[in-house]
Amino acid sequence: MPIQLTSQAYCKMLLHAAKYPHCAVNGLLVAEKTKEKKKDSHSEPVLCVDCVPLFHGTLALAPMLEVALTLIDTWCKENNYIIAGYYQANERTKDSRPNQVAEKVAARISENFSDAAIVMVDNSRLTMSCFEPIVVIYDHHENKWKSRDVTSDCFEDWSEAQKITSALLEGRSYENLIDFDNHLDDLRNDWTNPVINKSVLDLC
Amino acid sequence: MASVSEMYDVGWEEMRDKLRKWREENCRNSEQIVDVGEELISEHASKLGDDIWIIYEQVMIAALDCSRDDLALTCLQELEKQFSDSHRVKRLSGMRLEALERYDEANKDYDAILQDDPTNTAARKRKISILKAQGKSAEAIRELNEYLEQFVGDQEAWHELSELYINEHDYGKAAFCLEELMMTNPHNHLYCEQYAEVKYTQGGLENLELSRKYFAQALRLNNRNMRALFGLYMSASHIAASPKVSAKVKKDNMKYAAWAATQINRAYKYTDTLKRHIVHLGGHAEAAMKQYPLPVFDSGWLVAGPRRTNAP
Repeated sequence: MPIQLTSQAYCKMLLHAAKYPHCAVNGLLVAEKTKEKKKDSHSEPVLCVDCVPLFHGTLALAPMLEVALTLIDTWCKENNYIIAGYYQANERTKDSRPNQVAEKVAARISENFSDAAIVMVDNSRLTMSCFEPIVVIYDHHENKWKSRDVTSDCFEDWSEAQKITSALLEGRSYENLIDFDNHLDDLRNDWTNPVINKSVLDLC
Repeated sequence: MASVSEMYDVGWEEMRDKLRKWREENCRNSEQIVDVGEELISEHASKLGDDIWIIYEQVMIAALDCSRDDLALTCLQELEKQFSDSHRVKRLSGMRLEALERYDEANKDYDAILQDDPTNTAARKRKISILKAQGKSAEAIRELNEYLEQFVGDQEAWHELSELYINEHDYGKAAFCLEELMMTNPHNHLYCEQYAEVKYTQGGLENLELSRKYFAQALRLNNRNMRALFGLYMSASHIAASPKVSAKVKKDNMKYAAWAATQINRAYKYTDTLKRHIVHLGGHAEAAMKQYPLPVFDSGWLVAGPRRTNAP
């Protein structure tokens, strides 16, 4: 089942990348937990309704990642979500391939969600206007991560996502985006980003 | 768009002082620096005196970070006019070329500096940054190692090297770099905590025990370091769960993990109370946080831990 992104998930990913232009950033994508999977629902896409920005800078250290996965998992259970994917934007502009960190985290996520996907941000196409989707989605096939063509079908509503992301980037909303690193620096920082979520809702 | 001074109701002196603060703390808030600095330079240049040159340098580097080549060039030209043969300005010129991805020309500039002055550390570090920007991590690591053989005391370089090694998943060598930093900065809780994270990532019982010790040390140096607290909990829990440890080690680590868990829960409970107050005050988080400057934190809400003869 391929994943689909809502405007909220897409724009928070890009805001995270825009907040730390000189760092690699990563985060988790969450989907609503559905009831029993029907046998013929394999073609139905999984809708990632939100994302949780995790870290910026050094992504390859384990302890805080494990803490984040645990806390976010608990939060997911409370809100009937499930961790369905992982996103990453690399440090260098021209580098948009998933690396070992991405594959390791995605493998971990796949233990609980078999169709976990990796979403890589293509930094070289990141602009304020967001004319086109700038993510590359990787699915796990036969032990390898293969990229899939990203069209507007990969979004719940591409034109809405484009409009909202562009507006928030112009308005520098990324200054208020909280990632898990910010939370560890000061527990009062809320990684669920209620303020940004409200801005997204207001623009819908 | 309203000017900075209008939006925040500040005068030019406050703007200048803010820039100095950011310079001293080495902050990379480039967009803010550009906003404040550009206005300061264009409206109040005459009042700044000799400060203006260092401000030009600071604003130029921030402008490069924000792809504001127009502003960067203006600053650079002013500096070149004033300090025509300066290596420091030549390095800035090289940085601008780097930002434009004209790496060969930038390297020429740096090589010229090094011809003139082989001990110029700034130029050498820029050359290493170019390797990093081009994705040539192995070469960058090699060059940085050579640099550190000569300039053993350069802490920024040791830290950069540790990050390069972490990105290459060479945790052993990253740990070595952090050990150098801890030796020269024994009171820096951040180096302790990062070392502990590297050891934890390396894995294995011995490294986990070291990691727990250094998380505990980081916590002793700064009892508000949440990463150290979480790290202590994680490492102690993993050790306690390992089949290879003796019953005593298991019991001790369960005690440490339990202590850490209590502290974590207290911290979150306090934060939740605070957040409820914030919601109560209409959700204006920033304003609310100013009203609640956390005196409780200052008196050390993290209890110093159970008295024990052996360090955790």
